[in-house]
Amino acid sequence: MLPVSAEVVIIGGGVHGCSIAYHLASKGMHGVVVLEQKYLTYGGTGRSAAGIRQQFGTEINCRLAKENIKGFIRMKEELDTDFDLELEQGGYMWLAYTEGQLNQLRENVRLQSSLGIPSKILNPDEIKELIPLLDVEGVLGASWCAEDGHVNPHRVTFAYYEAAKRLGVKFYTYTKVVDIEIEKDKVKAVVTDKGKISTRKVVNAAGPWGKEIGKMVGLDIPVVSERHQIMVTEPVNRIIKPLILCQDDGSYWKQEPTGGFLIGMDNPNEKKGYDVGVTWQFMEEVSRRVLKKMPILRDVRVVRQWSGPYDITPDSQSIVGPVEEVEGFYLDVGWSGHGLQFAPSIGRIMSELIIGEEPFISVDVLSFNRFKTGKLIPEPACI
Amino acid sequence: MRKTEVLVVGGGPAGLSAAIAAASMGAKVLLVDDGLKLGGQLVKQTHKFFGSHRQSAGVRGIKIAGMLLSDIEKLKDKIEVVSNTTATGYYQDDGVVTAMTGEDVYMKIKSERVIIATGASERMLTFPNNDLPGVYGAGAVQTLMNVYGIVPGDRVLMVGAGNIGLIVSYQLMQANVEVATVVEAMPYIGGYLVHASKIRRLGVPIYTSHTILEVYGKDAVEAAAIVKLDSKWQPIPSTKRILNVDTVCLSVGLSPLIELLWQAGCKMKYVPQLGGNVVLRDKYMRTSRRDIFVAGDVAGIEEATSAMLEGKLAGLIAASDLGYAYDGWEADREDTLSSLEELRRGPLSEKIRSGLKEVVVEW
Ligand SMILES: Cc1cc2nc3c(=O)[nH]c(=O)nc-3n(C[C@H](O)[C@H](O)[C@H](O)COP(=O)(O)OP(=O)(O)OC[C@H]3O[C@@H](n4cnc5c(N)ncnc54)[C@H](O)[C@@H]3O)c2cc1C
Ligand SMILES: Cc1cc2nc3c(=O)[nH]c(=O)nc-3n(C[C@H](O)[C@H](O)[C@H](O)COP(=O)(O)OP(=O)(O)OC[C@H]3O[C@@H](n4cnc5c(N)ncnc54)[C@H](O)[C@@H]3O)c2cc1C
Repeated sequence: MLPVSAEVVIIGGGVHGCSIAYHLASKGMHGVVVLEQKYLTYGGTGRSAAGIRQQFGTEINCRLAKENIKGFIRMKEELDTDFDLELEQGGYMWLAYTEGQLNQLRENVRLQSSLGIPSKILNPDEIKELIPLLDVEGVLGASWCAEDGHVNPHRVTFAYYEAAKRLGVKFYTYTKVVDIEIEKDKVKAVVTDKGKISTRKVVNAAGPWGKEIGKMVGLDIPVVSERHQIMVTEPVNRIIKPLILCQDDGSYWKQEPTGGFLIGMDNPNEKKGYDVGVTWQFMEEVSRRVLKKMPILRDVRVVRQWSGPYDITPDSQSIVGPVEEVEGFYLDVGWSGHGLQFAPSIGRIMSELIIGEEPFISVDVLSFNRFKTGKLIPEPACI
Repeated sequence: MRKTEVLVVGGGPAGLSAAIAAASMGAKVLLVDDGLKLGGQLVKQTHKFFGSHRQSAGVRGIKIAGMLLSDIEKLKDKIEVVSNTTATGYYQDDGVVTAMTGEDVYMKIKSERVIIATGASERMLTFPNNDLPGVYGAGAVQTLMNVYGIVPGDRVLMVGAGNIGLIVSYQLMQANVEVATVVEAMPYIGGYLVHASKIRRLGVPIYTSHTILEVYGKDAVEAAAIVKLDSKWQPIPSTKRILNVDTVCLSVGLSPLIELLWQAGCKMKYVPQLGGNVVLRDKYMRTSRRDIFVAGDVAGIEEATSAMLEGKLAGLIAASDLGYAYDGWEADREDTLSSLEELRRGPLSEKIRSGLKEVVVEW
C-alpha cells in the first residue's frame, strides 16, 4: 500500500533516484518515497557500460567528476555494504584519429589539469606501451587518465537502495507515475497506477522517461531517448584494464574484472524511443570495428547483447535542480549517456537543493532555465 | 543472407517431424541442428522406449531416429539440413535468425516461418565445487557413452531417481562403471518401477529423502558428501556420509531451451508442470508471433512421441500458412491432434494436462 503522503517523492529507481534517496535520508529527512515503474535498474542504469572518468570538456563536469571518483572510493564504507562494487581504476583512454580530435583532447586536458585532474596527452608510442594489444594504426594521440575506471552499476544502485532503506526510505517498484497534480503552480500530489501520494516535492529522476514526467507538470523538457546497444563476450583471462574509446568510429570497450569484454559503439542512426531490443547489424558492425583495433579478440565468443536508452539533451549536458515554473518540482535528467558515474556527486547536490542547503558545488549552469536563456554549455567529451 | 520458407531449429524428434511435415506439404525447409548427427536426444537412447503410444512403445530411441532420418532423406529435394550449426539469435526488428556452423562460419537466415524445436537443457544443482570436472548432467553422460563410446569415470554418484537417472544408472553399469548410490531428494522414487528394480537387483541402493551436499577434490571430483533430508527438506547433519566417487551425475530435471523464444518476444508463462518458462501457443503450436511455432520439449518437458506429434502439427500449419497442401492433409492434422490427446489421456499424464491448460490458448 502506498502512503497517503510523503515529504519527497522521487520518480525513478535508477542510480540517480536511489542516490538522491540515500542522501536525503542520510541528512535526516523522513518520508522519502521512491517510485519505480518496473524494477530497480530497469532503465539506463542496469544497461550501462558504467565507465567512470574525469576526462570531461566542461568545467562543471570536471569538478563533479573529481567528486564522483572520491565518492566511489569511499562508497563501500559510506554505504556499509557487503557488495563488491567492482570499482576498478584501470584508466580510461580517448583515442584521436584526426588533428581536430587531438586538439579537442588537448583542450580538454588543459582544462582538466587546471582543475587538478591528473590526465595527460599520450603519443602513439606511449599508447602502444600502455596497451600493447591495441592496433594504433591511424591513431594520432590520446588523452589518458589513470585514475578513471569503472564500477558495477547494479551493485552501486542496490548499495544505495539498501542504505536508503535502512534509513527509512520507502521504495515501491512496479508503481508507475501517471500524473502529477499541481495547485497554483505548486506540486500537490503524485498519481500512480497504484494510488495517489500527497506531497509538495517531486524529483524527476526518470532518465529517458523524464520528458513524459515533465509533460505531467506542463514542462517541455528537451530530452530525446535514444537506444544504445552493447555486446558482451564470454569471460577470458584478464588482458586489459583501461576503458578504450575510439573517436574515429565511436567504438569503445572494457574488460570487466570478471573477464568478459563489454563492447559498444556510437551510432547516430539508432532508433529513438524506449525500445530495448537489439540488432544483428550492431553485432556485426561493432565486431568489425573492434576487431580492427583489438585483433586478439577474434576468437572470443559473444554471449549476449543488450540495449538501453540514453537521455540526450541539446548540449549533451544534464538538467539539474528546481524549475521556476513549478514550485517543488526538481529535475535530475538528461545525462546524455554518461550519468551513471555522476550518481555520487549529484545525489548529494540534489539532496542539498531539496533540503534548502547551499550545494557543495554550484550546479546553476545545469538548470532548466538555460534552454530559455540560450546559455547552453555543450559537453564535447561525449560518446 | 540465406532465405527459406520454413526454418526448423533443432533436429530432435520434434524438429525432424516438423521438417518432414512441412516438406510433405511442399514447403522449402531449412533445418539447423547443433549436433554432428541429427536425432536430438534419440540418438543416445539405446533403451526401449517407455512411450505409451501405439507407434513407438517398445522401440529403441535410436531406431526411431533412423526412421525419421530416412523420411528426411526421401524429401531431400525439399529439406536442406545444416548440422553442427547453432542458431545463436533471433532478432525481432526483422525476424532474422543468426547461426554459427562450428566456431567459424557465421550465417543469417530469413524465413517466412520459424519452428523452434530446441528441446531442453539439463538442470544444475548448487553445492560447493559443482564446477569441478567430474560433475556431469546425466544426459551428457549418456551422450558420452552411447554416442561417443566414452565412459565418464570409474565410480558414480547418481543424483535423482527419475526415469533418466535410473536409465542412465543402468547403462553405466552395462558399461562396467560402478554406481555407488542413487540419491533422491523426494521421499519416493520418481521414475518407473521397472527401471528402479533393475538397478536394485544389481545391488545399487536408492536412498530417498537424500541429497548431495558437496563435492571434494583438487582438479577433479575425488569424493562427494550425501545427507538425509528431514520432512522440511533440511539436511540432518548427523547423517552426512562421504562417498569415494570420481563422477557425479545430476539428473534433476530438464528446462526448456527457450532463449530464442524470449528473444523473439513470444508471450511466455512460468508453468512448473512443464519444466519452467514455456511459450503460450494455440493447439496447432503457433506462438503469439504468427510466424513462429514451437514443438517438443521446448514447449514443455514431455516425451519423444508427443514431440513428434507436435512437430508434425507445427510443420503442417506453417506450410499451410504459405499456401501449401496435400490431399487429405487436414484429416492428417486432426488425426495428429487426436493422437496427442490419446497419448496424454492416462493417469501418468495428469501433470502435463494440467500444465497445458495454462498455456494452450486461442489466438
Ligand atoms: C549502453 C549504455 C552505456 C552507458 N555507458 C555509460 C558509461 O560508461 N558511464 C556512465 O557514466 N554512464 C553510462 N551510461 C548512461 C547511464 O547508464 C545513465 O546516464 C544513468 O544510468 C542514468 O541513471 P538515471 O537514474 O538517471 O536513469 P535510469 O537508470 O534510466 O532510471 C530511470 C528510471 O525511471 C523509471 N521510470 C520512468 N518513468 C517512470 C514512471 N512514469 N513512473 C515510475 N518510474 C518511472 C524507469 O523505469 C527507470 O528505472 C550508459 C547508458 C547506456 C544505455
Ligand atoms: C535419458 C533420457 C531418456 C529418455 N527416454 C525416453 C523414452 O524412453 N521415451 C520417450 O518418449 N522419451 C524419452 N525421453 C525424452 C525424449 O528424448 C525427449 O522428450 C525428446 O527427445 C524431445 O524431443 P525434441 O525434439 O523436443 O528435443 P531434443 O531431442 O532434445 O532435440 C533438440 C535438438 O535441438 C538441438 N538444438 C538446441 N538448441 C539449438 C540451437 N540453438 N540451434 C541448433 N540446434 C539446437 C539440440 O542439440 C537437439 O539436437 C528421454 C530423455 C532422456 C534425456
